[in-house]
Amino acid sequence: MKKIFILLCLIITGTAFSLSSEVSDYLSLLKSEAEKENPGFSGFSAERGNKIFISSHVNDKGKKVSCTTCHGNDLSKTGKDFRTGKIIKPLAPSANSKRLTNVRDIKKWLKRNFKDVYMREGSATEKGDVLTYLLNK
Amino acid sequence: MKKIVPLITLLVMFLSLSIFADDHEHDENHDNDDHHYYKKKHKKKNRGYINYQSGNNANSNEGKLYQKECSACHFTYQPELLPKRSWKAIMNGLEKHFDADASLEEKEKNDILKYLLENAGDAKYISYKYFRKINKSIYSDQTPIRISEISYFIRKHRKIPKKFIVQDEVKSLSHCQKCHITADKGNYSEHSVKIPNYGRWDD
Repeated sequence: MKKIFILLCLIITGTAFSLSSEVSDYLSLLKSEAEKENPGFSGFSAERGNKIFISSHVNDKGKKVSCTTCHGNDLSKTGKDFRTGKIIKPLAPSANSKRLTNVRDIKKWLKRNFKDVYMREGSATEKGDVLTYLLNK
Repeated sequence: MKKIVPLITLLVMFLSLSIFADDHEHDENHDNDDHHYYKKKHKKKNRGYINYQSGNNANSNEGKLYQKECSACHFTYQPELLPKRSWKAIMNGLEKHFDADASLEEKEKNDILKYLLENAGDAKYISYKYFRKINKSIYSDQTPIRISEISYFIRKHRKIPKKFIVQDEVKSLSHCQKCHITADKGNYSEHSVKIPNYGRWDD
């Protein structure tokens, strides 16, 4: 009986770890790319990620936007897309456990939203910084 | 005895699972019966109204992908609302999709486009009169990107005071479901129009 219980525990924790490993694999991939971009790279920084997230830029419509324009200043609360009015679920994993668990979604939205706010794609360093910042929220 | 307990537990779990599965199957059959009954009863009244969610191939993988990806930002317009050439133009310009970058991976983009082309307004005979009329009003040399720039659409919405459109609860004519409360089911009948802060709209 005890053995079965231990086995079950192992299976459950195993699946939990494999979920987050998908994201950590992506972070290591970004890290190796960041090292190529900059030989002096010494790890991702949530502080730099925060700056990327809150700084404003003028988009091609002449409107000043930042990530917080739609996601809001408090990432544990819902945001609102300023163009469509669509409600955006909280970005902070602490408030929304499904967030930042699927690498396809992470890649998709990092690409799109960098282009929406910065008018260009983010570098590997920038993407890793933002992701590190968000994962700690 | 100690070995029997987990065995029994497993057996009980297995049995309860299979009972649950049976229930599920039964429910589905029941739904189908209801659906046929409904169709029979309301055949005349509905006159070509398609229940978009259960009709055509909205439940195919491509149909579901369309729902999932596009509804992340906006209302999922029925493919019948635009002709094939419009969907091609829209899906090939996702990097600049109105005011946003809506780029997708190549495979996902192609899967969604396949679904849209199979169900576009000029891909098949459409029984629902509003979809038919909207497509009829598009000239063959036009490739509308917005449904709201199609002449039939403009004609049907021209009498609505601007204040009802620009108000916060609606914002734009592109938000179908804010007033057409059954738009998600592909039903744009006047009887299901309810304008926020106004109410029913009789043309």
